[in-house]
Amino acid sequence: MLDIRRISTNRWWHKKKIWLFFGLFLFLVFVRISKGSLYKDFYYFISRPFWPGQFQKEVILNSIERETLIKVDLLKKDNIRLREILALQDSYNNDNISAAVISRKTGSWWRQIILNKGSRDGVEIGSTVVGPGGLLGRVKNTSLFTSSVRLLTSPESKLGVWIDRIQINGLLVGSGDDYPSLIIYSKDADIKVGDFVSSSPASTLLPPNIPIGIVKSVEEPFQAKKRAKVILLAKPHVIDWVQIFKRKI
Amino acid sequence: MNKFLKKRLSIVIFIFIPVIFLWHPNWLGFLGIQPYWPLFWLLPWSMINGSINGIILGLFLGLILDALTLDSNFTQIPGLILCGGWFGRIKMHSDLLVGHFRYGLICAFGSFLCGTLYFLQILINNYSDNNFLIFIPSVQNILAEVFLTGLFAPLICSQLLRLFKFFIGKKHDNKFL
Repeated sequence: MLDIRRISTNRWWHKKKIWLFFGLFLFLVFVRISKGSLYKDFYYFISRPFWPGQFQKEVILNSIERETLIKVDLLKKDNIRLREILALQDSYNNDNISAAVISRKTGSWWRQIILNKGSRDGVEIGSTVVGPGGLLGRVKNTSLFTSSVRLLTSPESKLGVWIDRIQINGLLVGSGDDYPSLIIYSKDADIKVGDFVSSSPASTLLPPNIPIGIVKSVEEPFQAKKRAKVILLAKPHVIDWVQIFKRKI
Repeated sequence: MNKFLKKRLSIVIFIFIPVIFLWHPNWLGFLGIQPYWPLFWLLPWSMINGSINGIILGLFLGLILDALTLDSNFTQIPGLILCGGWFGRIKMHSDLLVGHFRYGLICAFGSFLCGTLYFLQILINNYSDNNFLIFIPSVQNILAEVFLTGLFAPLICSQLLRLFKFFIGKKHDNKFL
């Protein structure tokens, strides 16, 4: 009787240590199968107070900004070099003139602005005028102290433009309201609302790739022409300061 | 100097018309459009000095205003000459209130005439290109300009007429003395 009791207490599964090892083994198997996810999650919680803070974020954003600026600068230089090779007009002319708008007629028939810089400051007829947003127009007339700019919305304004998405040239014609008309001499041109309009990369009158506007509405094709209305990015009725790009011939 | 200014008040105000035309105060406009400023001066001046003077000064005004605008293919001269001639034939009304409203009506019609003539020039110039594209904004331009000119004319024209008559009367009195 006593012998039987002894035997039963000495069985291996009655030993606590073995079960502990077995449990540990199972846990390690689980850790192995889960690729240490439990550990990683645990580390996530304990390392939280030591994560990189706001300062670190600013440092990184500054670095990204600097990197972008350097990239843009390199691309500019590249662009200038390639344009020189192709004998195209330079888009990054550093010889700009800042001017204030001293008179504006943005409604009615006469759509023009007068700037406080004239021939005395080196403004020439035909110079391109750009405001915040994009192209405003071209200098049509200069006096000693002022220069008059014909806006893109003027009924007399006609300008060759480029629609980047469909890679096609069009004619931007002022129609006496705030939305000049874009005429494309192709019935099948796939122009859509929201298309971006800029100055032509091969333009000889304007510096290339200056943003102009966005297509607002497209009309039905008529006589092998497609017409659309364009919202200008630069708003001449609110802009007070502009940049005059000196003309390069 | 003061005497000279008073004597030549109409000419002094004439010089300021292009300035107001260029000033183009947005807060005074409607749909971005301004009243047709030269008519406010031309109406009282022509009413006092007659049709021939009205035509001549209409031409002068047109020349100055055309010089200020960049549209080399269009001119404001025909409209202003016609208005100058027509305004010179208008007689003053004895009733002050009726006179006030008449100024508004006459200037509104004058503005319509000038606007329509200008629009016709644009239309003829762009005949082959995009006639219908400029039609709706142009009609809007004309109507807004007519409305604003008619609205401001009773206020401005009657005051200018009173001033011109007052100083001309004084000038004549001095002559007789």
